[in-house]
Amino acid sequence: MPTKIAYRMNKIDTKRALFTIFTGLCKGCGLCIQKCPANTLIWSDELGVYGTPAVQPKDAEGCTGCGMCSIVCPDCAITIERKKM
Amino acid sequence: MSIIPNMPKPWRKETKPHKFCPGCGHGLVLKALGEAIDELNIQDKIVFGCDIGCSLLSWDFFNVDTVQTHHGRTTPVMTGVKRARPDRICIAYMGDGGGYAIGSQHLVNAATRNEKITVILANNCNYGMTGGQMAPTTLPGMKTETSPYGRDIEETGYPTQGPEMVAAITQERAYVARGTVANVRQLKNYIKRALQTQMDNSGFSFVEALSGCPTNWSTNAKDTWAFIEETMPQYFKVGELKTPVPKEGISK
Repeated sequence: MPTKIAYRMNKIDTKRALFTIFTGLCKGCGLCIQKCPANTLIWSDELGVYGTPAVQPKDAEGCTGCGMCSIVCPDCAITIERKKM
Repeated sequence: MSIIPNMPKPWRKETKPHKFCPGCGHGLVLKALGEAIDELNIQDKIVFGCDIGCSLLSWDFFNVDTVQTHHGRTTPVMTGVKRARPDRICIAYMGDGGGYAIGSQHLVNAATRNEKITVILANNCNYGMTGGQMAPTTLPGMKTETSPYGRDIEETGYPTQGPEMVAAITQERAYVARGTVANVRQLKNYIKRALQTQMDNSGFSFVEALSGCPTNWSTNAKDTWAFIEETMPQYFKVGELKTPVPKEGISK
């Protein structure tokens, strides 16, 4: 039976997508910040699983919801849900 | 509906976050493998063998039958499993130490015998678990713990090019490719074709993945990507080296 585990998370509502960072999975490697094509990710005040800063979008405008951060995250800590425009 | 992490289905959720270092390439290689298993829908047929080294931390990574073997002996163990149970799909997962150093004899001989198994190898240019010593894949001039002045090719020779070696000794209808964690989607397609090669009973399949080791390279995220995307592919060419069907027939 698949078990349901609730990781700590931080939901950030941006204009075009719902950006969810699972701080219970984020190790703060920063690979997503470098790969973001819109250059909108910054270090967050929320702490990740190792006590290192997690990430968040800079503002509500920048994130285009492309999902690149979600693809390059080795821990699957980011989930992007695009909004219907 | 509550939001859940976007993990591939075969990943074992209760062992996450996994044990690899922050920024480790293994997470991305195993993500690609998980997605490939997911898309082929073969989770209940997989036997997964992991080697010693950083790759052994994947022993509880998937919800599949897993065995952790002696160092370098993942390929023969998986060969044995495949010969005993030909209906299983056997994946040997190892690092460059397990594949090109201590286990190179097994890799070479399994490839020569054209065993119907899939070998996935993560190449991060050093021995990660023991602290970043020089490995067969360390690039010329690259500084590691045991080559503090950079790798001297006069003394230690050139880095091993595994897929080229395997492609040269395997028979027709084998699959050999080299992917990179900088392009997870391409890597997933390579792994998928490798598993397909095994499922078709076509021949040996081998995928090397260029992977990162920020801990032992002592790089930040920017330099890690720069090393994986720019420095490594200059020596390790990304692409398919051998395919069971002619290249034109494959959709990119």
